[in-house]
Amino acid sequence: MKHRNLRRAAGLLLAAALVIGTLCGCSGKGSGETTDGGGEGTGSGGSQGNQTQEAGGQAMGRFLEEAVDTGICFANIYDMQKLEDGSIRLIGEDGDTEKDGVWESKDDGKTWNKVFDFPAEVLTNHDKGYVNHAALSPGGQIVCAFNEIVGSGVHQALYLLDKEGKASKIPFEVPKAEDDQTDDFAISNLISNLQFPSDEWVLLADSALETVYQVSVPDGSLKHTYETDMGLGPMPMHSAGNTLILQDESQALLYDLQTGERKDSEEALNKGSNENGRFSVVDTMDRGESIYSISPGGLCRYKFGGSVMERLIDGSMNSLGSPTFYPIALTMLDEQNFLVAAEDANANPETGIALLRYTYSADTLAKPDKELKVYSLYDNKEIRQSVIQFQKEHTDVYVNYEAGLAEDSGMMVSDTLKTLTTEIMAGNGPDVLMLDGMPVETYIEKGILKDLSALLKESGGSYFENITSAYQDGQGQVCAVPARFKIPMIQAEGAYYTQDEDFDAFTARKDTMVNMYPKTVVEKFWFTCGAAWRKDDKTLDEAKITEFLTKLKNAYGEYDSSLDEESTLEYSSTTNNEVVSKLSMGSGDFDLAFGRCHTNFGLRESMDYGMQNEVNKKLEDGIIGLMPGQADRVFVPSMIFGISNKAAQPEAANEFIKYVFSKEAQKLSQSGGFPVEKEAFRNAIDGHVYEGKDVSFAVGGPRGEIIEYDREPTPEKEIAKMTEIAESLITPAFQDDVIKDAVIEQGAKVLKGEISPEEATAAIIKKVNIYLAE
Amino acid sequence: MRNSFWQRERKRKEKVHKDMRGFLWVLPSFLGVMVFYLLPYADVVRRSFLGAVDNRFAGLANYKTVLGNTAFLLAARNTLLFTLLCIPVLILVALFCAVALYKSRYGGIIKSAFLMPMAIPAVSVALLWRVLFHSQGIVNYWLEALGMAGNDWMNTENAFWILLVSYIWKNLGYDIVLWMAGLAGISTNIYEAARVDGAGEGQCFFYITLPNLKPSLYTITVLSFLNSFKVFREAYLVAGDYPHESIYMMQHLFNNWFRNFSFDKMAAAAVLESVVLLVLILLLQKAWDSKDLV
Repeated sequence: MKHRNLRRAAGLLLAAALVIGTLCGCSGKGSGETTDGGGEGTGSGGSQGNQTQEAGGQAMGRFLEEAVDTGICFANIYDMQKLEDGSIRLIGEDGDTEKDGVWESKDDGKTWNKVFDFPAEVLTNHDKGYVNHAALSPGGQIVCAFNEIVGSGVHQALYLLDKEGKASKIPFEVPKAEDDQTDDFAISNLISNLQFPSDEWVLLADSALETVYQVSVPDGSLKHTYETDMGLGPMPMHSAGNTLILQDESQALLYDLQTGERKDSEEALNKGSNENGRFSVVDTMDRGESIYSISPGGLCRYKFGGSVMERLIDGSMNSLGSPTFYPIALTMLDEQNFLVAAEDANANPETGIALLRYTYSADTLAKPDKELKVYSLYDNKEIRQSVIQFQKEHTDVYVNYEAGLAEDSGMMVSDTLKTLTTEIMAGNGPDVLMLDGMPVETYIEKGILKDLSALLKESGGSYFENITSAYQDGQGQVCAVPARFKIPMIQAEGAYYTQDEDFDAFTARKDTMVNMYPKTVVEKFWFTCGAAWRKDDKTLDEAKITEFLTKLKNAYGEYDSSLDEESTLEYSSTTNNEVVSKLSMGSGDFDLAFGRCHTNFGLRESMDYGMQNEVNKKLEDGIIGLMPGQADRVFVPSMIFGISNKAAQPEAANEFIKYVFSKEAQKLSQSGGFPVEKEAFRNAIDGHVYEGKDVSFAVGGPRGEIIEYDREPTPEKEIAKMTEIAESLITPAFQDDVIKDAVIEQGAKVLKGEISPEEATAAIIKKVNIYLAE
Repeated sequence: MRNSFWQRERKRKEKVHKDMRGFLWVLPSFLGVMVFYLLPYADVVRRSFLGAVDNRFAGLANYKTVLGNTAFLLAARNTLLFTLLCIPVLILVALFCAVALYKSRYGGIIKSAFLMPMAIPAVSVALLWRVLFHSQGIVNYWLEALGMAGNDWMNTENAFWILLVSYIWKNLGYDIVLWMAGLAGISTNIYEAARVDGAGEGQCFFYITLPNLKPSLYTITVLSFLNSFKVFREAYLVAGDYPHESIYMMQHLFNNWFRNFSFDKMAAAAVLESVVLLVLILLLQKAWDSKDLV
């Protein structure tokens, strides 16, 4: 009896354990989820001044970004430093006078006054050379690397400017690299980076010899040499107090600037820099005991010898993480305020130079409680820019941008889409989708996406409706809208193309595509022809595919087998950004000008009138127009946005879409195609950035010929012509990767002469039949 | 009379109690089956009558769509053909090997060698396929060295036979082990008695071994049948979502439908497939039961 009860108890216990274990396994989220508190002021040993506070269960405190209006149009900033006397100085180039000089602020960067121009006789005489690098010391002295033009060569000299701007030469010669040229056009070994952390000595990075020189300022003597074997380009060199930091992909090498000895590497520093990315700029407030650094991950603080690198600012919530943001100098004013000078085309479209102030706000949520999920298949730097700009204007929204196919993840598109499907159906999916590379039409058909037509009206722009309505359905609903578009265009001399000719006329000529890779040719023509193959029942018109391949083969002519290997190397995949650029028209401009090709066609996504004009002149009767195809007046929708019907944050998603289509966002410097907003479109093609500027460009050809042209504003007539073309486009390109891949594979075989067009068509149809039947 | 009533009542209670105890023992497992199989399956049945995303009632429309879908019919045909061909071949080859190994002194070691393919990850198998059967792969290289023409193996009807051989290669060891377990369960006394009566090897095999392996045959058939669905992994890894039509299986179709949010068609097809599977298994079981009775 006793044993029986024991057995019963054990059985019940085991059964209960099984049930509880099973149910625990079903629980949603684990309790072990960690946060970085919005990336603000967390981590052990956090900075004393900006500890995150809790208010109503929410972490408070965040750095806010604002642009500093200096009143000066800087064309360049070389360095910025807080001096020992508390003032801030910066070395820059005034865009109006094109003179280098030094400015000073005594009120933490609010107002700036010029202290002096660089001495005219030495450093601002453009006939003699130009300043390549310049750095400020804590005492206010400046060291400049001046590239002197000697004959037809360049020689680098170091100059010291005292606090009043008086220049003297530092007697130091950068050692010659092994591959220094010795002919008439000699360029000596040039330094790639310059740091001036002490008034006594300067640090010079020599990328060619992978060496850093610590040079005494008064006499130019070499104090220490630091040799590395990083094998990198421009050497990432930073200094803080007596510590020199050299970074490669995986670690930060530390050196003692007093003894010249290598210090032990610090695991937490390496880990932190791996997580946040390589440092762009570094500053210290305690003579090098700790450093503040900016990297793509944001602003971090690290105390040497510490156990953790603390991220004070999440780069994804402001300009610091923007792909167009390149920090030049970081100046910590105190623990709650700092300035950043940076190159950022979007912060200052005129010169691309920005001065930003970051101030800690204790009353702002560390991480906004509203999270908007934005998703794209491929990592897209254009969308990253939009996300950051949007967040700057909507501090109450945290935008979580996710690219499904992360670099080197090894995942296939199909698997990624399946994961997305699961997330959407589980209610955890993204709010906003950028649909490039996804089955847009299927998503619309299945009711995954919301109608955006009302939102577009609210965005306040004037759009190319022929483009924005690319995915309009029978009921007038627009569930997916391209924010940009590309135009298949062609440039050629009159013998190979006449204005607006059709596919039949173009392909009737032979040898219009010499020296072109078969797969690239087929893919480019896929855009202008594919849309014509679809029948009403969504099957493919076999006759048209055969006709396409037959005519294309006629125009392509005999295949040059020497292109084979190059073709394999050149053509790797179909939809990532790298290859899209190979489909762009811009990649063949100079091939056409130098006579390597008879025509240049592809997707046009930007306009450089100077180059276009110069190529036409070189061809004598050069002409540019829409690329011929079986479909009429085709455009390629790009950056196609949609809002999920199951969006958790529909309001924020609406705001984001409105922002993406606003004039401001449409005018952002982006490379994803022409904006769909008319004013932004004009802004993108008018070349206003070259107004009043003398910007010339030279390119050398394979036989030593040189094309030289000025970048200039686009004439009004050309702007009108391009706008007219954009307005005339009526057919969105057929974007279906399964069919496209089959066509490219078989089409390339036809151009190579391996199979006949009929065989290729049969293979294509066989391949896509199952897909279409599904 | 009264005593008899209480006795009957006590027996009834004991029986209920005993039944309840049995039920309690299977309850955890039953709950697991309920939560992870039966309820999701019920949801699939429900969805088969609804729209894909909007969940509107669609009646039998999804079933009509699926039965008229050429991709579904192709996938069903291929899956059925594959199953009908590979399972008998696998079972027979495995039985032959098992009997041979059972008699061999080195059977244990060789048996382990047959199990090796099961330990090889599907990704490695797929890679091996690519290296061997690519249009510029090793097989074509060998053929060309012998003066024969090569072939784009995975893009022709040959793909089906490659898939079939691959399935047999991978699962042969597992079936051998199962057969050998069955063989080990047959008492040697029966063989000895038969031999004393003058039975030969063939007679022993057909009149003793085979009848005694009948229970194992059912298990092996069902397991092989279920394993045959796993061959999709290799086919998918080698040829992606849209392989040559001869190796386009049901899982390819489900995979692609899922990606495109075609849950309506997927649910209807899943119900149809499960019904067919259930009927097949029940028929198999019934056939066995009736033979056992005989």
